[in-house]
Amino acid sequence: MSEQLIGTAMRRIDGRQKVTGAAKYAADHPLPGMLYAYGVYSTVASGKIVRIDDQAAKAMPGVVTVLHHGNLPTLHRTPNAPLNVKEILHASRVDEHRLPFEDDGVYYPGQFVALVVANTFEQARAAAHKVKVEYQAKDAVRSLAQGLKTKGARDGGRGHKRGDPNAEVGTQRIDVTYTTPVEVHNPMEMHATTAWWEDGRLYVYESSQGVLNHRNLLANVFDLPPERVEVRAPFIGSGFGSKLWPWPHAIAACAAAKVTGKPVQLVLPRAQMFTTVGHRPDTIQRMRMATDANGKLVSIRHESFNSTSTLDPYTEACGVVTKNLYSCPNVLVSHSIAAVNRGTPTSMRAPGAAPGLFALESAIDEMALAVGMDPLKFRQLNLSTTDESVQLPWSSNHLPEAINTAAERFGWHQRDPRVGAMREGDELIGYGMGACNWDAFQVPAEARVTLRSDGSALVQCAVQDVGTGTYTIVAQTVAQLTGLPVDKIEVELGSSAFPPGPVSGGSWVTSSIMPALAGATRQALERLRGYAVAASGPFADGDVQALTIEGGALVNGEQRVSFADVLKSQKLARAEGRFQSGMPVNPTHSFRSFGAHFVEVRWDPGISRLRVARVVSAIDVGKVVNPLAGRNQVEGAIVMGLGMALFEAGEFDPRSGLPANNNYAEYVVPVHADMPEIEVILLDYPDYNLNEFGARGMGEIGVTGLAAAVANAVYHATGKRIRSLPITKEKLMA
Amino acid sequence: MTDSSKTVNTFTPTVEAIETSRRNFLKFGASGAAAVTLSGVLPGMAAQALAQPAVIDAHTPKAGERRIRLTVNGVAQELNVATNAILLDVLRDRLQLTGTKKGCDHGQCGACTLLVNGVAINSCLSIAVQHDGDAITTIEGLAQNGTLHPVQEAFWEHDAYQCGYCTSGQIMSAVAILQDPAIGRDDASVREAMSGNICRCGAYKNILAAVQSARGKMARVG
Repeated sequence: MSEQLIGTAMRRIDGRQKVTGAAKYAADHPLPGMLYAYGVYSTVASGKIVRIDDQAAKAMPGVVTVLHHGNLPTLHRTPNAPLNVKEILHASRVDEHRLPFEDDGVYYPGQFVALVVANTFEQARAAAHKVKVEYQAKDAVRSLAQGLKTKGARDGGRGHKRGDPNAEVGTQRIDVTYTTPVEVHNPMEMHATTAWWEDGRLYVYESSQGVLNHRNLLANVFDLPPERVEVRAPFIGSGFGSKLWPWPHAIAACAAAKVTGKPVQLVLPRAQMFTTVGHRPDTIQRMRMATDANGKLVSIRHESFNSTSTLDPYTEACGVVTKNLYSCPNVLVSHSIAAVNRGTPTSMRAPGAAPGLFALESAIDEMALAVGMDPLKFRQLNLSTTDESVQLPWSSNHLPEAINTAAERFGWHQRDPRVGAMREGDELIGYGMGACNWDAFQVPAEARVTLRSDGSALVQCAVQDVGTGTYTIVAQTVAQLTGLPVDKIEVELGSSAFPPGPVSGGSWVTSSIMPALAGATRQALERLRGYAVAASGPFADGDVQALTIEGGALVNGEQRVSFADVLKSQKLARAEGRFQSGMPVNPTHSFRSFGAHFVEVRWDPGISRLRVARVVSAIDVGKVVNPLAGRNQVEGAIVMGLGMALFEAGEFDPRSGLPANNNYAEYVVPVHADMPEIEVILLDYPDYNLNEFGARGMGEIGVTGLAAAVANAVYHATGKRIRSLPITKEKLMA
Repeated sequence: MTDSSKTVNTFTPTVEAIETSRRNFLKFGASGAAAVTLSGVLPGMAAQALAQPAVIDAHTPKAGERRIRLTVNGVAQELNVATNAILLDVLRDRLQLTGTKKGCDHGQCGACTLLVNGVAINSCLSIAVQHDGDAITTIEGLAQNGTLHPVQEAFWEHDAYQCGYCTSGQIMSAVAILQDPAIGRDDASVREAMSGNICRCGAYKNILAAVQSARGKMARVG
């Protein structure tokens, strides 16, 4: 353990594959005799399939079969159980429980109604357009407002209550409502499946954030022992949550491969990325806050409503941060859901917290102004010093420092608090801030580390690198503990055949796999020490405890023998370690990550052009393992937050309920030209209460609080309080 | 497929103006993203490559197919393609060049960007039979005998990606932009020119840094 690798900026070990096009994603596996599948998707939001006429399609060249509810072999559902993170390595979850082609019902627009399988992609696509589907359309529930009105709200759970939040307390009060639209993950790689069957076994390349869960699900659906299914995702074109849990296409493709007896590739068109693979639901959030005469919060009520599908309940838990970020004796958090005819929603990067902190951090700004305080000072006055929702101390919370550091770097003290008082040329300048916050977890994970006689080490885990740099973190960890150079560490991830790993979500991968890697490495080294002191070993009859690890060698005083030579001395190929790590048991702390965004916006009132010019953020996520990839994570999350603030909204035709902007041109996401100056400060305080490396995780936190910081800056520049995302120019013209 | 000595040096600073033929105009018009009308390919590349075409399909084209010859990364290939086949799908499905990605199939995201006769286009918007006789450079054709192109090296050094799915397209656009004297060298010009290539992971800051850093290295290569 010589060189300090954990905490050192490192370029990625899989970088060469990514820059040469050699990294293989789910649809990059052309197989001999492979067929191509193309879906037919419902063009009504609600109703029943009366008839499917596939005669013309079947007569077209190259068409092998057309599957639909009338002819698909029986499949089986997976158990409908809530996620239990303790059992995450045995999970077989979906968010949409209905199987594809299960019945003749149409529950949402863009639902699979048929699947054409043909020899070539061109043939499948052409034939899919010739399948005629006759519907008996029903009146659809087309919006959250309509869902609430016609069917009413159901309790979505995950609420919280302490004190008496109903009391008409305080001297200053606000009562405001925020709305956020449907957001769509839209990872660059469209969901894709390449599946084939061989000797009763099912093999799948899937764009999946969880190969093990996906395997367990397919085993349930096709009634197979899990060992007979292998799911691989060595690379995925990111997911942001949409690829956490399997969606109907994945099952449909495997069924098509079974029916045809050939490999089948199915790539969703971009339009269906908006319908049948989840989305962040729209929310309506009423916030009521009150302070005493000194500006101390005395009551917070955060009541959130979100849309879900008619098939499944999904709760966007917007209030989870409201219950503990600020100190307040009387708090109510509630979540209600209402069904609409859309596909089932799912987790999207920082689920709950992203829309929730838009409301909370906007409301904090409004409350500060109502009290007549600087929004920064108001936050400092009210920040919690313990987690008051569970009455536990924070494991490691440096939010006050994050606020001060970022404020200084940003130049907050130069802010003229008067609305519209800062100007340069034609542009009004606004400064705004918002806190960001996300969970810190450690979940079960298992890894295998094999020291090999060629001087290398092989590391395997069924976890995924979704673009966050997991391959490199694995290599850094094992290199650190063995002293082997990073280029001698071979890392294999993304196959369900490896030791079980968790889904890549919740920002928990780094904090969960590092303890598993450490345990497996230590076990392999223990084995190696045993070989070294064997009768014919290089340290024969020596003291095992005296053998230290240095630079890929066992060392005792002057004697130094490489791992490879120890193995060779015993004619062994490998020393293996395998270890499963768990979760914090009876935790004595509350674990979260913290940070603050400071945003400068510029608004030209003449043409109502709004842009974000500058973002400075300070983030407290524990130990940062690879600052190069880590900073990139936060910067990328800020870019997604920018999209949430200014551009992104999934729109639905109010007459039909059909998606109206289901493509990459009309669902606007940030591009190069939208980039502000971004500076991210990583505080880098290890959180040893969570794990021995002090790492928490940083994939999601950056997206939270950003939209509020933008909205607060927009108010400062324009005097217009925009409570409905995205903040588009027409809202500023009103 | 064949002899790597035929791969083409695509980062030579040689710049030749493209003739404004109707054909090139149409291709340019079809490419929404970061299209540039300059060639960085070596003159005479096509002639050299045509010497020994690799025959993918020996049979005569079936109904609805046409026989075309493409020079891909310096290697001439003869194959039959459906008349409705898209260049992107032909490269990925028929030639197994899966480095070029499909992100939207509508010319909206830039993931499928590659060079046709030195011009950056969205290959998802281009019918394959229109490219009979064209020289195509994909991400797989940038490295020279295992040595990365300066833009590839810069992307790796600057962590100019996360998931890597848009990376091929970003790199191909960057290669084209850096050879285009009509595009300014300042950050704002590069951002504008790269705006047809979406990175949903949001690694734009590092991509800009990589492009600007490769600029200096490409000059030295020349």
